Amino acid sequence: MKNLYFLKNKLQTTTFIILAMIPVFVDSYYVNNISFFMLWTFIALSLSLIWGKGGILSFGQAAFFGLAGYSFGIIGINFADVFGVGVWSVILALIITGIFGLIVGYFLFYGGIYDVFVGIVTLSITLVFETFMSQTAGPEWTVGIARLNGFNGMQGMPSIGINLFGHNFEALDNKGYYVILALAVLAIYLLDKLANSKFGLVLSASKEDRLRVQSLGYNVKKVHMLTFAISSVLAGMSGILYTNWGGFITPESMGLVSAALPVVYCAASGKNNFFAVFLGTILLVWISQELAINGRQFALIFMGLLLVIATRYFPDGMFLFFIDLLKKITQKVIGN
Amino acid sequence: MVLLFNIIFQVTDAISFLLLSAIGLAVIFGMMKIINLAHGEFITVGAYGTVVTAKMGLPLPIAMACGVLVTVIFGFILERLIIRYIYGRPLDSVVATWGISLIVSQAFLIIFGPSTEGLKSPLGSFQVGDYSFSEYRILLIFVSFLILVLLYLLFMKSSFGTLARATIEKPVTSSALGVDVQKVYTITFCIGAGLAGLTGALYIPTMTAVPSLGQAFIVSAFVSVVTAGASPFVGLVPAAAFLGSFQTGITFFYHATIGLIGLLFAVIMIIRFLPSGFSGLIKRGR
Repeated sequence: MKNLYFLKNKLQTTTFIILAMIPVFVDSYYVNNISFFMLWTFIALSLSLIWGKGGILSFGQAAFFGLAGYSFGIIGINFADVFGVGVWSVILALIITGIFGLIVGYFLFYGGIYDVFVGIVTLSITLVFETFMSQTAGPEWTVGIARLNGFNGMQGMPSIGINLFGHNFEALDNKGYYVILALAVLAIYLLDKLANSKFGLVLSASKEDRLRVQSLGYNVKKVHMLTFAISSVLAGMSGILYTNWGGFITPESMGLVSAALPVVYCAASGKNNFFAVFLGTILLVWISQELAINGRQFALIFMGLLLVIATRYFPDGMFLFFIDLLKKITQKVIGN
Repeated sequence: MVLLFNIIFQVTDAISFLLLSAIGLAVIFGMMKIINLAHGEFITVGAYGTVVTAKMGLPLPIAMACGVLVTVIFGFILERLIIRYIYGRPLDSVVATWGISLIVSQAFLIIFGPSTEGLKSPLGSFQVGDYSFSEYRILLIFVSFLILVLLYLLFMKSSFGTLARATIEKPVTSSALGVDVQKVYTITFCIGAGLAGLTGALYIPTMTAVPSLGQAFIVSAFVSVVTAGASPFVGLVPAAAFLGSFQTGITFFYHATIGLIGLLFAVIMIIRFLPSGFSGLIKRGR
C-alpha cells in the first residue's frame, strides 16, 4: 500500500508537470505525436474502471469509441455553421454514447448476464457496429448531409474549438495537446475519487462476491449499470479526440483488433491503477507506433506477446511491477 | 421441388458450417470452461498445414490428416506453455488466448504473405433444375454429423470420456482417486485443437488461403457455442439448426451483411432471454 501512495502522489504530480512542460521544449511534430498517444488513455482508463475495479471484462469499449466518433462527426458536419459547434457537438456525442452505454448496461446487468458472457455480448455489439458501418459505402447512407462512406470512413468534420470575439480558439493547436492533458488529469482525479467513494467500494466489493454485497443491501445491478455507462462515456471521449486528431473515423476502429488494444493496455499496465494505465498506455502506443514503421504485423505481435506474458506472469500488471521494483531498488540504495 | 431442394441444401450447409466451426471450441469450452479466442487461428493452422503438405504432393485426405496433426501439436505446445497456468481463471483465459490469436495471425501474415495459392475443390458438382451443387459441400454436411456422433461416443461411452467428465466435474476428487488430472486436461485441449484443425482442413479446398481465414469461422463458432449453453454437446445441434436457418433466411431476403448482423443480434437476445442456452431449454423440457 505504501508503494501505491508513492505512485499516486510524487510520481503522478511530477509526470503531469513534465508533460505540461513538453510543448515548451520539444518540436511541435513530437508534441502532436504525444497528443495522439495521450488520447488513447481515455479508452484504457474506461476499461480499467469496469474491468480493473469492477471485474467485468467488456469488449464494447471499441463500439463506444466508434459511436462517439461517428456522432461527433455527423453532428459537426450537419451543423458546421452554428455557433460553438466545436464544443457542444462533443458534449452531445458524449451524451448519446452515455445513453447507449446506460441502455446496454441495463440490458446486461438487469438481465443477469455476467462473467464471460458480458465479453461475448459486448464483442457482438462491437462487431455489429463494424459490419454495419463497413457496408454504408453507397450514397444512400447519409445522415443529414454527412456521408457515412463505408469502409473508407467519414471525414470533413469541424474540429473541437470555439470562435469567440473574432478569435478562433481551436483545440487543433498541437492537435489539442493541453486540452487532452487537462482532460486526462481531470479523468484520473475523478476516477480516483469515484473508486474511493462508497459507490466505488461497493463496486470493488462486488468484484469479489456479488451475492454477498447484494445480501448486505446494496443494489449491485445499478452500480454495475452506472459504472458501465461512465466507462462508455470515457471510451467515447477517446473516440471523439481520435476523430478530431486525424479528421476522420473508419469502421476499422470498431474491429476485432481495435477491441483488443485497450485490453492490452490495461493488462500490461496494471488494470487496478488508473495512473499506471495512463502512463502505460502512452508508452505502449508509442512503442507500437515505432514498431509499426516496419509493418503493422510486428506491432500486433508485440501486443499479443505482452498480453500473454502479462496474464501468465504479471496478473497485476507488468508496468506496475516495474515501478514497484524501481521503488524498492531506490530504497535499498538510498537506505530509505 | 427444385426450390425446396435448394432451400434444404442452403440451410443444412449453413448448419454444418456452424457445427464444424464450433465443434473444437465447444469441446474446450464445454469441458474446461476456457473461452478460446485463438480458435480461429487453430483453424488457420489446420488449413495451412493441409495446403502446404498438399503442395508437396501428398494426396488430399493425407494432407488433411497432416493438417490436423500439426494443429494437435500446436495445441499441445500452447497448453504446456501457457494454457495450463490459467485454468480456473476464465477472464484471464480470454485475454491470454486473445494474445495468442494476435501473435499467430500476424505471424502467418509475415511468413506466408497476404495470400497463398489455394487448393482445387475436390469432387465434382451436380445439377438439380437450374441450380448447380458442389458434391464436396454435400459430403461436408455428412462429415459434420459423423464427427458429432463420434465425439458423443468418445465422451459418453469410452473410459477416457468417463475420466474426462469426472475430472471436469470434480478435479480434486478425481485426483484423489488416482486420475492424472493434468494429463486429462492436456488431452482434452489437444482434441479440441485437433477438431479446430480438422475444420480448417475440411474447408480449405472451398476457400482462398489467407492468414485471416480463421476469422470467417470465429463469429459463427462463438455464437453457436454460446447459444448452445452450459453443456454444448446437448445444445450444439439445436443451436446450429436455429442459427443456421435464421441466418439463411435473412441472407435470402436481404444480403449477407444483414445476415451476419441478424445473427449477432439473435445471439445477444438469446443470452439475455435464454441465459442457459438451448441445452438449458432441453433440460427444462425433460
